[in-house]
Amino acid sequence: MARTTRNPVLAAALALAALAAAAACWGGWSWYAAAHDDAAAFAHTREEVLAAGRQAVRNLNTLDHRDLRRGLDGWEDSATGDLHDQLADGRAAFEKQIREAGTVTEASVLSAAVTELDERAGKARVLVALRITVTAPEGEPVRKESRMIAALTRTAGGWKLSALGQAPVGGTAAE
Amino acid sequence: MSPAREAAAQPPAPGPPRPPDAPEDAAAPRAATRTRGTAAVLAAALLLLLAAAVLYHQERMLSGSPTAANRALTDGAATDRVAAEVGAALREVFSYRPEDTGRTRAAAADLLDGRAARQYTGLFARVEQEAARQKLTLTTHVVRAGVTRLDGGRARLLVFLDQVAERPGRAASTVPAQLSVTARLEAGRWRITDIAAR
Repeated sequence: MARTTRNPVLAAALALAALAAAAACWGGWSWYAAAHDDAAAFAHTREEVLAAGRQAVRNLNTLDHRDLRRGLDGWEDSATGDLHDQLADGRAAFEKQIREAGTVTEASVLSAAVTELDERAGKARVLVALRITVTAPEGEPVRKESRMIAALTRTAGGWKLSALGQAPVGGTAAE
Repeated sequence: MSPAREAAAQPPAPGPPRPPDAPEDAAAPRAATRTRGTAAVLAAALLLLLAAAVLYHQERMLSGSPTAANRALTDGAATDRVAAEVGAALREVFSYRPEDTGRTRAAAADLLDGRAARQYTGLFARVEQEAARQKLTLTTHVVRAGVTRLDGGRARLLVFLDQVAERPGRAASTVPAQLSVTARLEAGRWRITDIAAR
């Protein structure tokens, strides 16, 4: 290898290659560390839960009497467990009620936050602040703000609502 | 090493391809071999640098993303702490008694900053007058608080409040409120810098 040392260009190229190899090793190591970071994985799940919670709560507060089938299919698709069964059981009666009322209900999510997430159990809780607009066949649309607490459960089809309720007003405030 | 074998083993290098059976530079065969060797090393260095760049970029995508930077819930202790401190601050600044609004004003000066402080100061002068005139007592309870973002010394929360208004000789009335709150960590304490009704 005496010849290489006498060739400054080749020596410089070898040095560069060694540096590049070190950089690639470091890059590989930091990529591996980042890809196997538990906190990052948890953060990713949190965003997944938040997106699913926002969409599911919005779905369950949206219904158009002209397209009940699609709307209520969306409700059932957003729910799991007892909530899903309740929705399925009450569907016929509810459908009749909305058809007679002739209302269009639309919801938009103003803000949402995940407050609990148990990755292992596949359970989560999400707070959602909503604006709901109800338009009846006659009269002006009525807007109201709503605050809801949603429980989500992980299923084979993604995170779905297992319970949904209004945050209580008065009396049960946690000090 | 025969010229033919060497040509076959030659790695792809920049420059126009030459036919494999092209005659070697007869004047300086050694110099040509050395040039090729250098080119091969440089090509390897280039590939390794490219790999390093790709890996570094992937790592940034994973760790530098807003999702990964947001420590809400991933850092449970810090999340609980900001929720508790901001909740307590909201209770303080949105609770007052008609005979003692000065106490609330002082608490607000301590707990609010930035836009929240400016808005509050503008509003509270009127609130003080009304509270005295109507003998109005307001008590704020935190029903639920969730941290939407926690990033270094900054946090954003969604807070559900109940506000109980009491006047002598009348039944108390409870009004729900939903707030988006921005807070900043200053000298080890969370101070509220912005409040928006939801």
